[in-house]
Amino acid sequence: ERGRARYSGGGRALQPGGASAVRSFPSRPPSVAEDGRTLPNTAEQAPRACAVCVAAMAAAQAEAGGAPSVMAGAAGAAAMGDVGPVGSATAELEAAGPATDGAECGAGDAVAAEEAPAPPALPGLRLVQQGAEAHVYRGLFLGRAAVAKLRVPKRYRHPALEERLSRRRMAQEARSLLRCRRAGIPAPVVYFVDYVTNSIYLEDIVDSITVQDHIYSVQKSGNDTSDLHKLAEKMGELLARMHDEDIIHGDLTTANLLLRPPTDSLDLVLIDFGLSFISGLPEDKGVDLYVLEKAFISTHPDTEAMFQALLKTYAATSKKSGPVIKKLDEVRLRGRKRSMIG
Amino acid sequence: MERTHRLELFPERSVTLLLFQHVKNAAALRKKAMEGSLEGALINPAMIVDPFQILVAANKAVHLQKIGKMKTRTLYAEIIFSLSPSNNISDAFKKFGISDSDTAVLIVLVVDGDKNVNLADITSQVEGQQVSLDELPQLTDTAKVKKMYKVTPQEEKIGTLLDSVVCRMSTKDVL
Repeated sequence: ERGRARYSGGGRALQPGGASAVRSFPSRPPSVAEDGRTLPNTAEQAPRACAVCVAAMAAAQAEAGGAPSVMAGAAGAAAMGDVGPVGSATAELEAAGPATDGAECGAGDAVAAEEAPAPPALPGLRLVQQGAEAHVYRGLFLGRAAVAKLRVPKRYRHPALEERLSRRRMAQEARSLLRCRRAGIPAPVVYFVDYVTNSIYLEDIVDSITVQDHIYSVQKSGNDTSDLHKLAEKMGELLARMHDEDIIHGDLTTANLLLRPPTDSLDLVLIDFGLSFISGLPEDKGVDLYVLEKAFISTHPDTEAMFQALLKTYAATSKKSGPVIKKLDEVRLRGRKRSMIG
Repeated sequence: MERTHRLELFPERSVTLLLFQHVKNAAALRKKAMEGSLEGALINPAMIVDPFQILVAANKAVHLQKIGKMKTRTLYAEIIFSLSPSNNISDAFKKFGISDSDTAVLIVLVVDGDKNVNLADITSQVEGQQVSLDELPQLTDTAKVKKMYKVTPQEEKIGTLLDSVVCRMSTKDVL
């Protein structure tokens, strides 16, 4: 299964909000559906499970793609003339301008208030994930497998604040990634940072699996302990090196750690530095570990021993681990973000 | 022989790379490029690890041109500037552009989709032999590149030299 999101699109975007005006995608004349009508721009992302949406979409479009998964309009897409030899129906969308799927849904859907970013026109484009912060796509960028993270503008925020926050998060991500690489900590390579749409294009670690999925599969097959023990040690070592560089990941979960193929080599890569920052404080490092511990316990049952092994290797690898572990214990007792001062 | 790649994010633009060896008129070419009579960015192949490096620089340059935020005055100058890890424009030209005594030249062209690439025009002006881009790794001065981009030894363990170079190029202005 390819999971390609097919986009329909046509006509200029209906622009509900002002902030998106900066987008400078190549302009295209409004394209015309096969039956001669111009379609309103109903370019939309992956499934927004909104019955109102789907109904509106089906009504609005000549070809009733109709499928609830909103894979409609392949015919319409094809009619728009493709982009280059890859010729996939997926690739042409960005030209239609900022996607305004939310707007079409109507007042009934509160989620619709968020305007989703238009997917980039990369060959082989697939929507990987629709997070709260960003939409993540996979595709080929300049001939290489890449991941594109397009930030989702939060309409409930004041636009100036939104712009600033978005910019800062992106800058932090890029900065942390570079810092990691310079220190020899495996993280994806940054290919391109777009400050206009606040999107970032990174190296795609092909055929990797998340540590989360790996633990699931190992636990299911029952081969357990020794494999996972070693993995935990590797994780502890990696995190120790990262913290020694004063890099705080900010969102440590087993889903943000990848294993390069072959999985047995335990070649770890850290991803998703969107919430990262630079800090030397043991408190911040302790909280970073606490977040991971919580994620471990809540996602993976019976992994207390694993996390213990992780911490042990962490303490052994990092030169500054003493105060960090101490802080971790403190945070465990009281919960995070409670400095209990003042 | 030459290589052309479309810029996915800017579908009407494509980038063509031509590599020449045994070039005798580097000085004249440089002068022509500066005057504007020769179309293209003239780059020193010793500083280029892989065509991907050029594509990343071209992508960034085209993006900046589109939003009107170029630091230099022309697109080709911007490509050369984007290659450099420093924010000093003249330094970028010195290190990544060609000098009068160079015998190898890499020419980068960015064309709008409709216009036909006039390669013959370019190749006729170069007194040298056009070779395939596959010859590029032989012309790369790895030590010089490592020094220029300040690649650390730990970094070399987790990725290729190209990875390090591209990462610095793309995050240059965020720091």
